[in-house]
Amino acid sequence: MFKGTNASAGIGIGKAAVIKEVEMVIRPEKVASVEAEVQRFRGALADTVAQTKALADDLATKVGEKEAEIMNGHLMLLADPMMTGEIEEAIKRDSVCSEYAIETTCTTYADLFASMDDELMQQRATDMRDIKTRMQQVLQGIKPVDIASLPEGSIIVAKDLTPSMTAGINPANVTGIVTELGGKTSHSAILARALEIPAVVAVSHVMDQIKEGDTIVLDGSEGIVIVNPTDGEMEEYTAKREAFLQEKKDLERFIGMPTVTKDGVHIELVANIGNPDDVAKVLQYDGEGVGLFRTEFLFMDRTSMPTEEEQFEAYKKVAVGLAGKPVIIRTLDIGGDKEIPYMGLAKDENPFLGYRAIRLCLDRKEDIYRPQLRALLRASAFGGIKIMIPMITCIDEIREAKALIEEIKGELDRKGVAYNKDIQVGIMVETAAASLMADVFAKEVDFFSIGTNDLTQYTMSVDRGNEKISYLYSTFNPAVLRSIRNIISCGREAGIMVGMCGEAASDPLMIPLLLAFGLNEFSMSASAILKSRKMITGYSSQELQAVAEKAMSFTTAKEVEAYMKEFVNQ
Amino acid sequence: MVRAKVVIRNLTGLHLRPAGVLCNKAILYKSRIQFQTSSTTANAKSVLSVLGACVKNGDEIEFICEGEDEQEALDSMIRVVEDGLGE
Repeated sequence: MFKGTNASAGIGIGKAAVIKEVEMVIRPEKVASVEAEVQRFRGALADTVAQTKALADDLATKVGEKEAEIMNGHLMLLADPMMTGEIEEAIKRDSVCSEYAIETTCTTYADLFASMDDELMQQRATDMRDIKTRMQQVLQGIKPVDIASLPEGSIIVAKDLTPSMTAGINPANVTGIVTELGGKTSHSAILARALEIPAVVAVSHVMDQIKEGDTIVLDGSEGIVIVNPTDGEMEEYTAKREAFLQEKKDLERFIGMPTVTKDGVHIELVANIGNPDDVAKVLQYDGEGVGLFRTEFLFMDRTSMPTEEEQFEAYKKVAVGLAGKPVIIRTLDIGGDKEIPYMGLAKDENPFLGYRAIRLCLDRKEDIYRPQLRALLRASAFGGIKIMIPMITCIDEIREAKALIEEIKGELDRKGVAYNKDIQVGIMVETAAASLMADVFAKEVDFFSIGTNDLTQYTMSVDRGNEKISYLYSTFNPAVLRSIRNIISCGREAGIMVGMCGEAASDPLMIPLLLAFGLNEFSMSASAILKSRKMITGYSSQELQAVAEKAMSFTTAKEVEAYMKEFVNQ
Repeated sequence: MVRAKVVIRNLTGLHLRPAGVLCNKAILYKSRIQFQTSSTTANAKSVLSVLGACVKNGDEIEFICEGEDEQEALDSMIRVVEDGLGE
């Protein structure tokens, strides 16, 4: 059994198709006519471009425009005048063959990209090596490995899959991919996920251990590869494969279904996202909107503050992508625990109790909060944006933030800039103070969203990063549960929506309790949505009242959790 | 020779796609088109050179154009960056 990186979920069972590139020996052979050699190179370049173009078109129709971008990128690199110029220059200067000139030039660029401190740029090194090999293969008359014609039930085993090889995969015939190199974000892993082919990558020395035709079992969820499995293992993984496919099919049935409990209570099932590109996943898993869009990504890993315009574009992109569905955007939630040199934040002794989130924003209205709120208001003209304020502890913070929003609305009115005049403004309820004051705060805002990760941390006075006290960090602690129940009932009494965007919202043991408490909106990672919809539609919130009552009668987190486990499993 | 500064506003910086948009614009002009960053000078007509400059979101670059259509080229380069390089 081999262990590797789980790159694409699912179980693959089949016969090994070992992919070995023909080894090319590239030597600095002298050429008689430099002019003729340059022509030979140009011919090979044109053929490589034509091949790549065909792969790109094939990929665009077979998988999608987005996946074809990798090949379109290769076309751009092949068209680069600097690279082709340098190759021709090397041929002329040293009277060497094209293969060698390509080798030295492309390797220089590949090494340059590989040395950069940027993952996207490092991927360009793979691209450079790929186009290098393909040009050399054309020159030597070597046919590229024909992955497209592998027989049904093949498991591809390779040192590494170049983007151009991956582009030729026929998902109907390939049931799994195993590679010796690569990572979760390499081209081949991304494409394997898009094609839904189970894949395990970065399996060391696997090429020495697998022969053509060996029976292979791989678990792309766990990162396990078994060569020539025993009957027992075969049986086990055949069952696992069926269970995986069954569950997938089972969950797919819930796409497009409303999230309604058996007794007719409508629940909003929405997603947490970290940047605008996550919208595709939300739609894929049929999220009913976004319950938490963290805006921190806009401010991280850069050297200056993002402009209002840049923020506006990001917020607008999400609003437009969700086409009118609710999109709750949380304003900047950042403090002294993050390194953001350009913000000039002093190191906080106690960052989670310090100068952060709304405290920081209200203190830095001009350079931070005003531009962000104005960008949010402007973007609200394009979809269902709601503004959410994090880490509220007292009512003055709510009033001050709302006054600022009103002030900006006035400015926009005077300038005739469009925005949603009825935009909802809500708060994260995640501090002990906000929970105790929930009845009062509920009258001042349009919605609550309970952040259970911080609420647990602040209620239990436990640093969630500290292993030694991790036993205290449980949302099942009766103190935390009482707090959650109180927040939900205060919100409901005031007639506002109450949601939850912490990890507890997708915890199968927590969902029945939250339904019983009357939570309206559950926000979670997109991939958990269908599973949660399946659970929610199977319960009746009326019938859950007794379960919640019993759960709340216990005095320790352990007892509550054990009871909920027992209830869910029966 | 003419020159002008502009700030890159692409979330992941000048990676392959925006770099391609930039180059495709640059090759339309006869002038030599380069840009300077705080650490290097790149040829705007070469996607490899542009990528090699490793320009990040928020970085300021200065275009330098030289040739018969230099002013037109400069204006056009600034505009294509300000328009977000196709993103």
